[in-house]
Amino acid sequence: MKRKILAALLTSAMVLSLAGCGGGSAETPAAPAADGGAEAEAPAAEEAPAADAEAPAADASAGGDETLTVWCWDPAFNMNAMYEAEKVYQKDHPNFKLNVVETPWDDIQTKLTTAATSGDLSTLPDIFLMQDNAFQKNVLAFPDVCMDLTNSGVDFSQFAAGKAAYSVIDGKNYGVPFDNGAVVACYRTDLLEQAGLTIDDFTDITFDQYLENGKKVLEATGKPLISMQAGECDLIMMMLQSAGSSLFNEDGTANIVNNETLKIVMETYKGLKDAGVLTEVNSWDEYVGDFVSGNVAGTINGCWIMASIQTAEDQKGNWAITNMPSLVGASGATNYSNNGGSSWAVTTKCANPELACDFLASTFAGSNELYDNILPSGALATWAPAGDSSAYGEPNEFFGGDAVSAKIVDFATKVPTNITGAYYYEARNAVATAITNYINGSDLATELQTAEQTVNFNMGQ
Amino acid sequence: MYVFLCIVSFISVFPLYWMVSAATNKSADVISGRLIPGGYFMENLNNLLASQNIGRAFGNSFKYAAILTIASLLVSSLAGYGFEIFHDKGKDLLMSIILLAMMVPFVATMIPLFQMCSKAGWLNTTIGFILPTISTPFLIMMFRQSARSFPHDIMEAARIDGLSEIRIFFQMFIPTMRSTYAAAMTITFMNAWNSYLWPKVIMTDSASQTMPMVVANLTEGYVTDYGMLMLAVLICTLPTAVVFFCLQNAFAEGITGAVK
Repeated sequence: MKRKILAALLTSAMVLSLAGCGGGSAETPAAPAADGGAEAEAPAAEEAPAADAEAPAADASAGGDETLTVWCWDPAFNMNAMYEAEKVYQKDHPNFKLNVVETPWDDIQTKLTTAATSGDLSTLPDIFLMQDNAFQKNVLAFPDVCMDLTNSGVDFSQFAAGKAAYSVIDGKNYGVPFDNGAVVACYRTDLLEQAGLTIDDFTDITFDQYLENGKKVLEATGKPLISMQAGECDLIMMMLQSAGSSLFNEDGTANIVNNETLKIVMETYKGLKDAGVLTEVNSWDEYVGDFVSGNVAGTINGCWIMASIQTAEDQKGNWAITNMPSLVGASGATNYSNNGGSSWAVTTKCANPELACDFLASTFAGSNELYDNILPSGALATWAPAGDSSAYGEPNEFFGGDAVSAKIVDFATKVPTNITGAYYYEARNAVATAITNYINGSDLATELQTAEQTVNFNMGQ
Repeated sequence: MYVFLCIVSFISVFPLYWMVSAATNKSADVISGRLIPGGYFMENLNNLLASQNIGRAFGNSFKYAAILTIASLLVSSLAGYGFEIFHDKGKDLLMSIILLAMMVPFVATMIPLFQMCSKAGWLNTTIGFILPTISTPFLIMMFRQSARSFPHDIMEAARIDGLSEIRIFFQMFIPTMRSTYAAAMTITFMNAWNSYLWPKVIMTDSASQTMPMVVANLTEGYVTDYGMLMLAVLICTLPTAVVFFCLQNAFAEGITGAVK
């Protein structure tokens, strides 16, 4: 008996301690908790978030409160762009407000997965920023999360085609393109000079000419032209897209073994590596460190890399940008490609979809002013009309007084479209393994075969 | 022997030194491998304060970690004590089930937990943060083990003197087991302070962000300011370091199960 009383006491102590510690914050959630109970009783689970979503909408119209919640991740870059967009939109909509929550991309992915898998979309924001390479995967895996924006009033034809294609799934537009990932080739002109070369010798060239020039630079300065992160395949993917080729076919099947362009890409990469023109490093930090501290004479990457280059203030005026080399022997080879970038998505949970669409259509898809304002932060438009603005024609002293912004917008419009597919990252990893083994002396055909098998295995085929 | 120890301690201490020195350098210097402290500490601090609400995140982390530590120690030690002191046929079976729960990885239970917390309206709240980890099998086991060394004579004497069972726990057991509590406190506080996955799932609001989430924010974006990042990491490391240094003697005793 005594034991039972004690057991009861101990249990109640535990319960009390629980209630006690929750006391401070329990008051506010009390009301939603009641809602939660009601929701649980509702017969269709899907209706619950919808009902949730309607409530704030009613509030919004009643109180004239037009607030949208946005998730994005870089205070200096995309968050800044959202704040500027808010200012632009507020001119016509004085009640409009944004609640921008700083959320790293990996966290957005985790939250998206958790919300979509648990069927409770109520935790999602109205608008969020999505990495272009993850767009297809997320829309296909979680079809209920992103809203179809095809007829939302956004004119997608004004965006660079290669860029907009990242967020098109089954012919429908799910994202409003944001930052530019057009590939630029950056070079240290002072080092090129030592080898008797200029930036013109690197413009509109092929990888064969790049290799020859690289050998000259290596001989004169002892420095490679470029470094790349081992085990990653950024350059491989850029080279592949420059010829309009992808790791997937239109129907979603893997396109690795029979991809002639990929073979040329791999052979070209190995050629650069073997000649010492390209050197591999172990981490991203080392990669950035290499060009900031002048261990290499340049780099090829998405134009966002210029922000990192410009941290080396002592090298002001010694840098220049141009287009990337083109592949030799590949059909459809160009000097233009893309790496990285992101697009805005509107969630189906959004309480006021008309407002969200109108906001995006009149800012990121319709305001020269916005793009001019965010240009100093390095946010380059993929919205073609922005490139005509005078702000884009201004010279950049760091890059030898060149009008780099206008140049990059022009590059972006020439980037060939590619197919990311739902398994982009899996395919990318498989190809990264293949190139590492191939460089170390393994047979190319075998490696590509293995890569394709790995991708098929990941796709469950 | 000493040479070996010197090498090993250098390997353990060097990253800490590097963190401190990097916090006083500008990003470009950190990348180019500068190892000596520089003069950019204040600039990094100003940048950090301008870009992130460090004060709020620090306060949040401290609040969550402190409440979780106190609640968790109370609940787990009561459970561990109960398991060892009182006798019941089912208790060993129950203990095995609890230990079995240790094997289930958190990610496996994360989505159901999220659904429960979301339905209960506990997103962005302290209770949502602490509830899933308030009682951990590890702590219960640790307290059960240490309760084994709790002298039964004291308990008998207290019972004869008419002390109630609950008062025996609070007045006799807790003071005797101080070192175990200190060890458990260090472990729980560190885990709570460093926890990342769960807060990132349930804290959707910027007002409830914790320190590790702020540090993660700093690594995103096209340009990472390494000096600023290292300063944030330094600030994030300080509380756990302080807790550990204050309790390190007790921690060592507690882990080995000493009775004071």
